[in-house]
Amino acid sequence: MEYDYYILFNTHTDGLMMVKKLKENNIKYTIVPTPRQLSKCCGIAIKYEHEDEKAILDIIDKYEIKVSGLRFLERKNIDIKFI
Amino acid sequence: MADYRELWQKLGMDLEKHDVLCEVLPQLYGGVYLSQENRPEGMNYYNFVVSEVHGLRIKELDDHKKQGGKVVGTFCVFVPDELILATGAIGVGLCAGSQFWIEDGEKVLPRNICPLVKAFMGAKVSGTCPYFQSCDMIIGETTCDAKKKAWEVLDDYVDTYVMDLPQMKREKDYKKWAEEIYALKEKLEKLTSNIITEEKLHEAIKLCNRKRMALQRLYNARKELGVPISGKDALLISQIAFYDNPERFIEMTNELCDELEDRIKKGISVNKKGGKRILISGTPMAVPNWKIHHIIETSGAVVVAEETCTGTRYFENLVDESATTMDGMINALADRYLKINCACFTPNKGREEDIIRLAKEYKADGVIYNSLQFCHTYNIEYANVEKALKEAGIPVLFIESDYSNDDVGQIQTRVEAFLEMIG
Repeated sequence: MEYDYYILFNTHTDGLMMVKKLKENNIKYTIVPTPRQLSKCCGIAIKYEHEDEKAILDIIDKYEIKVSGLRFLERKNIDIKFI
Repeated sequence: MADYRELWQKLGMDLEKHDVLCEVLPQLYGGVYLSQENRPEGMNYYNFVVSEVHGLRIKELDDHKKQGGKVVGTFCVFVPDELILATGAIGVGLCAGSQFWIEDGEKVLPRNICPLVKAFMGAKVSGTCPYFQSCDMIIGETTCDAKKKAWEVLDDYVDTYVMDLPQMKREKDYKKWAEEIYALKEKLEKLTSNIITEEKLHEAIKLCNRKRMALQRLYNARKELGVPISGKDALLISQIAFYDNPERFIEMTNELCDELEDRIKKGISVNKKGGKRILISGTPMAVPNWKIHHIIETSGAVVVAEETCTGTRYFENLVDESATTMDGMINALADRYLKINCACFTPNKGREEDIIRLAKEYKADGVIYNSLQFCHTYNIEYANVEKALKEAGIPVLFIESDYSNDDVGQIQTRVEAFLEMIG
């Protein structure tokens, strides 16, 4: 079973601060809409590689970035439905 | 993540219904966009905009309104953004690209009109688009009968002003269009209580030209045989151009273009397997209408340009910046905007020439002519476009569709057959 890993935030400014630090530390990331399974609120989340988790936790700690959690979801084939 | 429900409630939105949209959009975006391989890193900015589409930008509009600013909604590339910006108002190109809004649109409009018109009406009637809800005024135009009559209905819900776009391009039509731009100037001045000075208008002309140049740079990168960005991503950027903060959009798009030009130098392409290069031509694709691009690009081809209102028609031709008097600038605006070759004009030979020119410039292997259902002008004009393309030896496929999922399989089969035929 494969998983996708996400950092969730309370505000987009916290998210953008995280993006800045990930960039500075050459850590691969993708900004994504927060998956609904993880939060009912709209907005950004950051998808990351599991192998970078320790480095990410260090960044959160070092720069006191407010996150609302690190979460993961089982990767599934998405059935695209145009809306 | 941030909770914008209080803001949406203040805008008079139907939160329950809007929540249905919020639920499906991340999944659709994930499937269409985030599933792509080898995307430029600069696309993270546009991921951010989409993630915050009903959040951060709406808050920015709200902050602007709290300071006494106005928000003006538009639906067409003929409406000059320059005038809106020159009054200190914020212009937002409204979406109308979702099947989600059709049902509510059909409550007040006939069923047999184009989905774009039904969708914008549905978005307003249902109170599920925070951009629409933020607008103090809508500027409509007379580019088709469905829109022309829909403005009368829309005016019951939000102040709707209509620009009368000429349908021919004679000298007197240029004069008439300049008069219409003058009339819009007065209307916007009344709405905002701000006078459009020569200086303010000139600044706005320069800003809009810079945005056009950023988009031209993006499209130029797509002319490369080793195309560094997918058609889907380029379409998304064009769509975002309509409602994002212009300065921020220009900065981020130029930053992305730096990366794309670097990719070209390094030979990094999204089309490594030599898939067919497709030029899309036809009706606009408003957010989140990514259907045709997705079908084409999951069939092994790549879309290299769009001769549409959410493509080249939006940014080709700059406004002449040499004029500095009010008359001179209004005439320069009229000249630039009337160069757009929309199917609402007759005759419209210029559009046939545009499509052939673009097919050559972008080294397209074929053209996919995409028309929204019931869009009479684009549907009828296909006959002449097809003839011109045949004479030029350029293969073309005609697709008429709406926003629904129903015909995806059928279109996929036709696209695959077309790609095989031109191979």
